[in-house]
Amino acid sequence: MLARLSIFVSVLAIACWANPEAGQATALLAKQCGACHSGQVKLSGLDLSTRDGLLKGGTKGPAVNLAQVDESLLLAAVHRRPGVAAMPPTKPLAPAEIALLERWLKAGAPWVEESAKPAAPTWWSFRPPQAPVLPAGVEGHAIDFFLDRTLAREGLTKASAAPRAALLRRVYLDLTGLAPSAEAVQRFVTDPDPDAYAKVVDALLASPRYGEKWARHWLDLVRYSDTAGFELDSYLADAWRYRDYVIDSFNADKPYDRFVKEQIAGDEYWPEDPEANTGTGLYCVGPNRDLFPDQADINRVEVLTDYTDTTASVFLGLTAGCARCHDHKFDPIPQRDYYRLQAVFAPAIKTKVALNRLGSLGWETGENVREIQLRELGEQIRTIQEPCRKKLYAAKLAKLSEEVQTALQTKEDEKTPRQRELSTEYATAVRVTDEEIRGCLNKSQTAALARIERRLVRMFQGYAPKPFACGITDVGDYSPKTFVPAKGKAEPVAVQPGFFTALGGGDIAERSFERKVTGPIPMFPTTGRRHALAEWLTRPDHPLTARVLVNRVWQYHFGRGIVATPSDYGSRGAAPTHPELLDYLATRFVAQGWSMKKLHREILLSAAYQRSSEPAAGVRAKDPENLYLSHFRRRRLTSDELRDNLLAASGELNLKMHGKPVVPPLAEEEMFGMIGRADSSWVVSSNPDDFRRRSIYLFQKRTFRMPMMEVFDAPEPMLSCPRRDASTTAPQSLTLLNGSFARERARALAKRGDMEAIFRAVLLRAPDTEEANRLTASFAKLEAAIGSREAALVEIARALLNTNEFLYVD
Amino acid sequence: MSTKHLSNAVSRRALLSQAGHGFGALAAASLMAAPIPQAAAQAVAQTAAETKAKAVIYLFMHGGVSHVDTWDPKPALSQRNGQTLPASFAAGLKTSRIDFTKAIMRGSPWEFPHHGQSGIPVSTLFPHISKHVDDMVVVRSCYGDAFDHAPAMYLLSTGSQFPGKPSLGAWTIYGLGSENKNLPGFVVMSDGAMKCGPQGYGAGYLPAVYQGTVFRGGKYPVLDLGNPQGVSPEVQKETLDLITDLDRRHLAARPGDDVLEARLASYELAYRMQAAAPDAVDLATESALTKRLYGLDDPLTEDFGRKCLLARRLVERGVRFIQLYSGTHLGDDWDGAHNDLTGSHHKMAKKSDQPIGALLTDLKARGMLDSTLVVWASEFGRTPLAEGKNGRDHHPYAFSMWMAGAGIQGGRTFGATDEFGLRAVENPVTAHDVNATILRLMGVDHTKLTYFYQGRDQRLTDVHGEHEFTSFLLA
Repeated sequence: MLARLSIFVSVLAIACWANPEAGQATALLAKQCGACHSGQVKLSGLDLSTRDGLLKGGTKGPAVNLAQVDESLLLAAVHRRPGVAAMPPTKPLAPAEIALLERWLKAGAPWVEESAKPAAPTWWSFRPPQAPVLPAGVEGHAIDFFLDRTLAREGLTKASAAPRAALLRRVYLDLTGLAPSAEAVQRFVTDPDPDAYAKVVDALLASPRYGEKWARHWLDLVRYSDTAGFELDSYLADAWRYRDYVIDSFNADKPYDRFVKEQIAGDEYWPEDPEANTGTGLYCVGPNRDLFPDQADINRVEVLTDYTDTTASVFLGLTAGCARCHDHKFDPIPQRDYYRLQAVFAPAIKTKVALNRLGSLGWETGENVREIQLRELGEQIRTIQEPCRKKLYAAKLAKLSEEVQTALQTKEDEKTPRQRELSTEYATAVRVTDEEIRGCLNKSQTAALARIERRLVRMFQGYAPKPFACGITDVGDYSPKTFVPAKGKAEPVAVQPGFFTALGGGDIAERSFERKVTGPIPMFPTTGRRHALAEWLTRPDHPLTARVLVNRVWQYHFGRGIVATPSDYGSRGAAPTHPELLDYLATRFVAQGWSMKKLHREILLSAAYQRSSEPAAGVRAKDPENLYLSHFRRRRLTSDELRDNLLAASGELNLKMHGKPVVPPLAEEEMFGMIGRADSSWVVSSNPDDFRRRSIYLFQKRTFRMPMMEVFDAPEPMLSCPRRDASTTAPQSLTLLNGSFARERARALAKRGDMEAIFRAVLLRAPDTEEANRLTASFAKLEAAIGSREAALVEIARALLNTNEFLYVD
Repeated sequence: MSTKHLSNAVSRRALLSQAGHGFGALAAASLMAAPIPQAAAQAVAQTAAETKAKAVIYLFMHGGVSHVDTWDPKPALSQRNGQTLPASFAAGLKTSRIDFTKAIMRGSPWEFPHHGQSGIPVSTLFPHISKHVDDMVVVRSCYGDAFDHAPAMYLLSTGSQFPGKPSLGAWTIYGLGSENKNLPGFVVMSDGAMKCGPQGYGAGYLPAVYQGTVFRGGKYPVLDLGNPQGVSPEVQKETLDLITDLDRRHLAARPGDDVLEARLASYELAYRMQAAAPDAVDLATESALTKRLYGLDDPLTEDFGRKCLLARRLVERGVRFIQLYSGTHLGDDWDGAHNDLTGSHHKMAKKSDQPIGALLTDLKARGMLDSTLVVWASEFGRTPLAEGKNGRDHHPYAFSMWMAGAGIQGGRTFGATDEFGLRAVENPVTAHDVNATILRLMGVDHTKLTYFYQGRDQRLTDVHGEHEFTSFLLA
């Protein structure tokens, strides 16, 4: 440290001696421009770390014009003149700094070598996190230590501890997505054990409900859907295997580094482990355009783009997508870095993951037989129906005018325009339905059809989802080349797979990657590119991986991350409100074996998490956004939580876990606008008990959100969603007030028979005297108006399910 | 450091608190179209003179309308009927189903009489709309690069082939809000299933409040607008009063939380909308003459006629953006042109021509056309070459649209295609240019209407829209 300081001082001294301002100017360039315009990054080909680089410029021409300094591109950029990319992109230089550059250029831009050398990454998030040194006695309370320090600095008074009941509901909802029962609240409030809260936290972390709640966050992030999107919106029939994998991974407290490795390269790390291979389903549950074969090239590019952008956004918290078409405008990500990351996925193809060897093989054999049987049965059905179909068609045709008959019977090629119009118009009039055929079949034909139906029943009565997941693997130990797209007439440049230069970079060597297999199953080798990527990402000192994850967890607990832009750690992202705390959490997370549950526990046991949501006097004016967490941030239930808790309050929630997506029935007007026919696009589940299961198990169609979920801000499933909105709109009120879902829950609640029981089930407490009086008054009016005690109770239940106390979490 | 990324998230809250802490002040703010965020306000023209259109009626022909059979006559096609294309024309063109080097040219089966004082030729498919050519500019030089329906529909409506981006209507109310506090600012009416799905009019990454609200048929056009079955207005009122009283008590213990206040207000707004929306869709007050004008007395035109009439009624009530779709992929569809150009286009034109003609007539008669922009568009055109015997495939490389109202100097065409209608060659315009133009007519600078998402200020027109043609339209 001391040595570095003395070098710094001596460099400055030389600079001042050589030219009073040259050192300052070149230092300014290094500090403000070096991250993007030096070293290996050199966005737009511009290197500002040498005088030659400055004079030569980049793809947009020389950076300076020493003959006519005022016309220098560099000055246009820092002056943010129109038509020129404003630089630095986020924060303009101070007028004094610009004046310095102008004077320096007019003096001929004398260069002071030493001070202009690019430092290590200047951007905070590109430097590895450093574990802060904690003062004695802080061990175990580090979170509060950091938060309290900032609160004191800002002169903010902390809120008191949250009421016990509010705290319990808060932690239940945060960890499991479900509120506690009124009984659990009662027990907790009166529990004298000083460790009662810690015990609750442990119990909730051990509950299978925890995985269901936290998998939802992850699935939002990885743009999970059960269909592919676009106009065909094909089923991703095995996507739910990945959903279950995520739930189970959270429940098992799978170390996050392993979770990353499985999803990026489970097939290379653990080729024989179906679970690890299912993790690569991350790359199967995204959008896919399903274009016609002659456009497969476009489709492939789009798939690779999705893989690259999703990986950068989910694991690195970077908006790399900008660098697809040009060097990133705001972050030191040159276009070639984007394609180096894309090259990691260039050999990847989708593959079927056999979930168990024997079962999967057996299913394939059975499917093979079924196909042969079905194609014969299809022909038999047509043969039986044909005579009746002909007869019925002829009868329908005979009823039409002669002109129409002729039109319909004329060969397609020979129709006149008028005949075509008529054919279109009368197509439905001559259509023969299955029911009509059924009514026309003779006895022996009917019997033959019944025999076929019996066979079909035998074939399909045991039919269950196939024992396969979708994953990715490499096509082999070779890969198509990846190119940086050429501009104009330039030749495209091939790139090696590798990592972002500004994050330490490095190429991945070309090699054949032998997967370690113990059993008799032969496995072809892969390129090991994804393995290398996963290894790099899970390095303990990686600048971003742990920071990004702990910040996401923090955000889901506190409503806002330490970095408020959870998927953007670039220069346009938010600076951390508590940088040392972020680094503390990140380094500790790694040191504790990347354990999510340990991380939760430390956050939840902090005093900050247990504070009341009512701010102390004067705090709201000083810190309106509650950046410093003087109090807890009140939040609305998410769409999933709302639906789950409506079902829980009414006592109807079915806690069955896992399995194929549940498709609940929707009214016709709710399905309005959906692509495709309902009988193929929205195949309602057979077992009505399933309709009351948790929302994570609901069918998630990429082109269509269930209206009730959409109105409460369920995210757009095309895009990675790192943070859900919580809007407040009139349609939300209509949905809760008049919608059939909430109303059915109110009916179930009314069966409890008395008002207090309903109140307790919804709001987890007994009404106070004033509330009880108010309810009684309403009940009397409602009963008189409707003339039914039960219907009046339904109204009371409906009202309670609409209250803010139910919808918001203190 | 920049705090810009936060402005979207907090603006609503901040603006709500600016609106005053009282319940009344909050109720006055519309929650159907949230307050205009600061990020959007800077894009909006400050003077009324720059705002030509107060409202937009966007007529979207689902499935792809053949340009060479409607707005862009190509005699050369008829002259060379049955021949293949000169090789130089075919290069670089690609669709899903035909090979441009082998398919034959097919002249239009329709005549193209001249109309109005301007004499603009329009095919006989549109006898009603063509009466209004002197009020419209026909744009013949649209082009795109998406040759399947959904991507092309997303491209035109959201500026991106990929679903999940905010649509023009969503951007519009993000920037301009709604004039009617009791109705949605952006209303969508369609025939049901469309190849773009709801993402064609979605809010994308903008908050859900900017989503297009689908008006369904019936007395209560908005989902869950009517009281539940069997619940009388008296009972509904009592239940609402109970909710309000419980929420007020809850709020009293949590003073100063404007989100909780806003939610209380949202029930009042919902209550008001229960009255306003049924009134907007109740056609009882419309004269028999008006209904006949729109074709409500003919089963073929009744459906689209009702939508067009509703569109006028919504504009009267201050609704900002109305998107109507003609056609559905589960029924009558312009896309029937794949194997039946004459049948499909004849039927679809029959269903929509009289209603659209009536809409223009009606808007003009009521003096509303000057401040209302009517846009007619389709996601792409159709190949001048034949698909099969009597079809045309998708053709994004050239297609037509028209605009009327909002001060547009009509009776003119803009841009042109080559002699066969294959490519836009004169003043070619993309979806971005069209959207930039529509926004400008509404007084919004498309380069300034931004939303911070994924690390940058996103725009409807991305980094494009430089060939905006507003000045031509108004000149």
